[in-house]
Amino acid sequence: MQGRRLLVIGVALIFAGIALFFGLFREPVYTAEATVSLAPRDELNDEEAREAFVQEVQSVVVTEDLLREVRARAGAKAGIEEFPELSDIRPLVTSDGGVGMLVRFSGSEPELTAQAANVYARLFVDRVERLDGGQLAGRVPAADAAVERKAAPPERSSLRPLIYAAFVAWAGLLLGGAAALLLEGRASGWRDVRDAELTLRAPVLGTIPDYSQASPEDEG
Amino acid sequence: MSLDAVSGAGAGELLDPDSPVRRHYEDLANNLLSLEDVGSVVVTSPEPGVGCTSVCLGLGAALAGMGRRVAVVDCNLDGPQLHRMLGESNFVGLTSELDGGKGLEHYGYEAVPGLLIVPTGPLPPDPVSSLEEPGMVEALHVLKESRDLVVLDAPVAGRVLRSPTFWGGFDGILLVVHAARTPKSLARDTIDDLLDSRVNLLGVVLNGCS
Repeated sequence: MQGRRLLVIGVALIFAGIALFFGLFREPVYTAEATVSLAPRDELNDEEAREAFVQEVQSVVVTEDLLREVRARAGAKAGIEEFPELSDIRPLVTSDGGVGMLVRFSGSEPELTAQAANVYARLFVDRVERLDGGQLAGRVPAADAAVERKAAPPERSSLRPLIYAAFVAWAGLLLGGAAALLLEGRASGWRDVRDAELTLRAPVLGTIPDYSQASPEDEG
Repeated sequence: MSLDAVSGAGAGELLDPDSPVRRHYEDLANNLLSLEDVGSVVVTSPEPGVGCTSVCLGLGAALAGMGRRVAVVDCNLDGPQLHRMLGESNFVGLTSELDGGKGLEHYGYEAVPGLLIVPTGPLPPDPVSSLEEPGMVEALHVLKESRDLVVLDAPVAGRVLRSPTFWGGFDGILLVVHAARTPKSLARDTIDDLLDSRVNLLGVVLNGCS
């Protein structure tokens, strides 16, 4: 019993310790999201056409130049290594026929991350409007664009490592408990009469000690 | 037969009234006697090698020492142990009764006063169906009339359960588990199987305790 208890507590503590270590010493990652809506001038019939439209606009608008400008505007105060990773820019097609872009940045600084997402969204809209102005309008279907939702800086949480540690400790308890149950099920040793009665749900009428001259050929 | 004549290892200890293990068997015997209407007990185990035969012999000797008339009958028709433990021959016994019909008292011998030992006798070609023979169960019932308790050293529980005529013909089942060797899961599964078959499980004997 003592051994099983130590196993469960030990596994839970190891898990909690690892989670706490990573929670405290690893930089947190914050994610900020902005959305841009696009309104094609021509009617698009199905979802596939809408998605193709957004990708076409994206391929024309999103250039190295745009990314440099985002970095220059949003990350002017920060060093280049602190600039958030451009994690996810993807087409957004809603069930009601709307199309747009989801702009998601991740980084260790919440404000910088949100700022980068907003600058990217704003520049994207500007460039789509410029398309409408002329030089590429022959190749790309005309569209209206607007920043539908600006990114807000994610909330900083000093409790996050502790929450992670508590969560992982709970997982450790479950895992340790499962391991203890498994060991208990496979165990062939019976501690005492009470253990046998609880396990077997039957009365133990007698206990016979292991006397030294026990017959080795008693197979019955 | 004197105790000195018992050549099988361990049997002398089980039959000796001054043996340190005797009081444990007396406790078991008292617990068994405290149960109502128990005149015949099938002793089985979840797996071979847990000491079922030792328990039968020790229990029988303890009861005989308490003044009861007891019979221990070896029903392990595919692997008899009782005669080996006592260092005796197996020329006649339980199966002889099917041919001879003289009564099991005739085919056994008293190991100590009050304790009748009946070995299996010549082994039949099909031990499982032999256990099911009504004549064998009937012979054991007749033996009950002359004995306070008949202890049946039975095969493992799985095989016993395949012979409902056999286990259904007696008052209850005593399950022997080895304290150090029998896996708990196996013991639990065996108990479940016994209870599912609606046998009268009298209780458990924990053998080989440290």
